[in-house]
Amino acid sequence: MKGDRSKAVTLWTFVIAALVMLSAPTLVVLGASFTAGNMITFPPEGLSLKWYAAIAGATDLRDAFLRSVIVATICTAISIPTGTLAGIALAKYRVRFVAGVQVYLLLPFTIPLIGSGIGLMLIFGKWGLLGQLWPVGVACAVINLPFMIWAVTASAASLDPDLELAAANCGAPPLSTFLAVTIPAVTPGIITGALLMFILALNEFLVSLLLVDARIVTLPVQIYNSIRSIITPDLAAISVVFIAVAAIAIALLDWLVGLDIFLKSK
Amino acid sequence: MRPSRTSYPLSWRLMDALEAVAAAVWPRSFSAAVPWLMLLPAVVLVGLLVLGLWDMADGSFRTLDTATFLPSDDYSLTNYHRAFTEKLFFTVASRSLIGSLIVTAVTLIFAFPYSYVMVRTRSAALRKFLLIALFLPFFIGQVVRAYGWLIILGSQGMVNEALGLVGVAPIRLLYNYPAVLFGLVQYMLPFAVLMLAPALTAIPEEMEAAAGSLGANWVRTFIHVVLPLAKPGFIGAGLVVMTLSLTDFAIPAILGGGSQDFIANAIYDQFFRTSDQGMGATLALLLVAVGSIMVGVVFALFGAGTLAMGRSK
Repeated sequence: MKGDRSKAVTLWTFVIAALVMLSAPTLVVLGASFTAGNMITFPPEGLSLKWYAAIAGATDLRDAFLRSVIVATICTAISIPTGTLAGIALAKYRVRFVAGVQVYLLLPFTIPLIGSGIGLMLIFGKWGLLGQLWPVGVACAVINLPFMIWAVTASAASLDPDLELAAANCGAPPLSTFLAVTIPAVTPGIITGALLMFILALNEFLVSLLLVDARIVTLPVQIYNSIRSIITPDLAAISVVFIAVAAIAIALLDWLVGLDIFLKSK
Repeated sequence: MRPSRTSYPLSWRLMDALEAVAAAVWPRSFSAAVPWLMLLPAVVLVGLLVLGLWDMADGSFRTLDTATFLPSDDYSLTNYHRAFTEKLFFTVASRSLIGSLIVTAVTLIFAFPYSYVMVRTRSAALRKFLLIALFLPFFIGQVVRAYGWLIILGSQGMVNEALGLVGVAPIRLLYNYPAVLFGLVQYMLPFAVLMLAPALTAIPEEMEAAAGSLGANWVRTFIHVVLPLAKPGFIGAGLVVMTLSLTDFAIPAILGGGSQDFIANAIYDQFFRTSDQGMGATLALLLVAVGSIMVGVVFALFGAGTLAMGRSK
């Protein structure tokens, strides 16, 4: 084909620029966390693990991290059943008013996060729930629910309705059919969705910022508050925790369902 | 002799019991309502948002009583009038709107080649590498990424130190509009690529080969074949990037340093600095309205693109 070379050069120019843009902050945070100095400088003043020792001793950071994990766990526990059932219902049945239901279930996605966060803050405040952790988990489940539903509907598309009929034909009652045929068919979607929900809730910043008070800050809020004062390497070290969790999640995702799932067309 | 019932595995008996309970609670005659029952938890969860919106609507009609610092009891449209007439809100709104348009355009320009190479490459290793490079920042979260940019672009950051080595005086790279837009593009790239990729996968490679064999060079093939066929992906990606960047809080707050507030920052300030809940609720509702109208118009014109959930048509 004509001009294959210019095509490759043009495409790769953009791809490399994008790669640099995507990876630079991660690599720099990783590098900064190993500095031996008290400030982040370039080139770094030697290598050390002293900032990791520092964060291991910092109870406020450790507590904030634990709170983030609790929030993410609650969010995932709520969204797995909720999103799975809704996703299967949307993919499998001819629901009446389906367009309306879709628009409604897309609300968490179309309503800007600041709007959702403030709305939830107002009603949780009215019900006297602010100052606790579990409402933050519920809030994360609400705002990220479309991701779970998308993941499940995407894999439910590959579910052949004949399989369920076959199971029924062999005498399986509805619940058994659901548990033995339907659920296994959408399992890749459930795993993808659950991982996404966990990671998104672990990283959730704005809604956490609105719903927590000084006693129960989550880790992203803690980092945000500290950035405002001064940039010290202990923040880089604690940020590496996020990088490590993200790397583990990607490895899990790749191992369990394969990253290529995101390239499939519906 | 027929084995006694008790010799069945425990799981069978458990399932039988569950089936009996399910049949008693939800007889077959209700089966038409099964999908609705399955949707119920999601509907309830999203209902929290609707309640929140309702509360905001109520608050938006109450002005702040400057004597008691409590919202007024009577309703008025004062907040809405202020939102449309005060210069501060106009500045912030136009800054966010123009910013999100620029961010959308730039992000799509970078996202298209990235997803194209990722989808079309023959090397599985390269594809995996590109996917990992995409997911890592996506999974790390905005605050940590913004922190990375602070280290790179700060007045004693990497870029300025490097410039210093060649004798250039430090430049202010942070806390200005381009820094915020740059941060937003970086934040949005994974979203855009992930929404574009399925649309590109759906385009048969033979189409491009056919265009090539008919004498089109790669630029014309892109313009006349690939881009039109990828339209649903572009719509989905553009929509997501635009609404997310229009309404973002963390990047303008951290990389803008308070001088480059977007709408979300203005809303936050109304609640937590000025304590004018009514005004904050008004701005938030207007933002919700703008976002929903944008999504609605695009859906009405082009369909839901890759955002549709449910049955594939």
